[in-house]
Amino acid sequence: MKQSPELSIAQTNMRPGVITLYGFLGPDDRNLIDMLIDDDGDVKRLGLTHEQIGRRMEELRNQGAKGLGEYIKVAPHFQVRVETVRGKLPCPFGEPGLHRKTNTQVLNEASGREVVYSDLQIHLIAEHGFYQGRKSRFRLNPADLAEVLEITAEEE
Amino acid sequence: MFPFTTLLISIGAVAGISTFLAVLMVIADATIANYGEVTITANKEKKYVVRGGSSLLSTLMSQEVFIPSACGGRGSCGLCKVKVLEGAGQVLPTELPWLSDEEREQNVRLSCQLKVKNDMEIEIPEELFSVKQFSARVASIRDLTHDIKELTIKLAEPSAIEFTAGKFIQLQTPAYELTDEPVYRAYSLSSSPSVKDQVEVEIRRVPNGICTTYVHDYLKEGDEIIFNGPYGDFYLRDTERDVVCIAGGSGMAPIKSILLDMVEKGINRKVRYFFGAVTKRDLFLVDEMKELEGKLPDFKYIPALSGPLPEDDWNGETGLITDVLDRHLDSGDNLEAYLCGSPGMIDACVKVLTANGVPEELIFYDKFA
Repeated sequence: MKQSPELSIAQTNMRPGVITLYGFLGPDDRNLIDMLIDDDGDVKRLGLTHEQIGRRMEELRNQGAKGLGEYIKVAPHFQVRVETVRGKLPCPFGEPGLHRKTNTQVLNEASGREVVYSDLQIHLIAEHGFYQGRKSRFRLNPADLAEVLEITAEEE
Repeated sequence: MFPFTTLLISIGAVAGISTFLAVLMVIADATIANYGEVTITANKEKKYVVRGGSSLLSTLMSQEVFIPSACGGRGSCGLCKVKVLEGAGQVLPTELPWLSDEEREQNVRLSCQLKVKNDMEIEIPEELFSVKQFSARVASIRDLTHDIKELTIKLAEPSAIEFTAGKFIQLQTPAYELTDEPVYRAYSLSSSPSVKDQVEVEIRRVPNGICTTYVHDYLKEGDEIIFNGPYGDFYLRDTERDVVCIAGGSGMAPIKSILLDMVEKGINRKVRYFFGAVTKRDLFLVDEMKELEGKLPDFKYIPALSGPLPEDDWNGETGLITDVLDRHLDSGDNLEAYLCGSPGMIDACVKVLTANGVPEELIFYDKFA
């Protein structure tokens, strides 16, 4: 699908070596608009919204931050570790502001599954519905996030 | 034959038009974009006569005035802000995302986006005039932990550096593998300022990080490297107060530099350094810290593990660094604190310090953010 010039610029910013080493797209060569539409469909089929997913990611991040860089137990059965390194990253969609290089690791002890995400990824999901390209190293599948972070359609 | 001749004529025509357009662009660039000589006046006294047409960032760099920039001038880091009092023109759309209303009112501009077209008057922090760009070689790369490397860099040109302990440099990562532009990242100096022909930094691997991946996976001893600096306002204040330092991981770098400097200068103040980690494998430079305990009359290195493993056989402090700090602080009288690390850690430690009577104005920090 044809996309706006703004999305084309964002897609260029997402290429390897522009903001991060491996970028945000992986080998996915679709237009960004198509990636966004597909993931939007997946999220809707889960009965969720991007904002809801982003909120849950942020909630666990904030709880995990109390561990000061070390694992901390977050009810009911999560181990969360939040680490920050020096520097900030811009959003590839070109908005103002920079995002701290903070990584949140969430281990769901009940399922044994783990997800890792950055502050920038929280923003990209909540504000842009962007989960990264298919097979991108750092892609977060909406279904995986929903399962590991236990986000259900009733969570409002 | 006829279609082939037509094809040749078409190719020739396209080539001719392309050449003509290229020549036009060269002429246009030389004439329309030629702003001639202009003068940039910095801080009302330093004057630079330069050729206009380039960005303010690169123009200043050509005059060896280095404005901090992490993205190499691509307008994606927002660091290269400069106050431009005169000669700037309208704020550009590419600058808008990076400037607050207050900054715009104060004539702050993004120097990598702003072209030098006429005489300009700018204001920059005085310390930036001491910043230089250095060509150097990697003298050694040492593993400190599973994810932190210590880089020793031997200076080539200039061959000596002056810096205050606690400052940082911006290390350049050249284009490699997946990148096609150099980028800069900031790292605190961990070496003693008395060693002027080489510097050390501690670099922790960041997943998907452009610079840290380069340092950990590509950089080799003997490789050329470029950096600029020194920058920053994190340094030991010249007082007689007791000192508390708090930093874990690569946050140790500026603290180590400060401690080494204290040894060199014979500064005999009481110092306690709280180093937070999870398990024993996260500790590093323990021997060096013990050595410093022997060289400074009243220095104690206090590592604290929040989750020691049974095989660590740990007898030292345990718990979160804030809890350990709280246990050790008797009072905030005659105390100043130096913290380096994540905003979360610093904010939490500041709370503990102020609750124990250390005035906020005597708490100094280098927040990674």
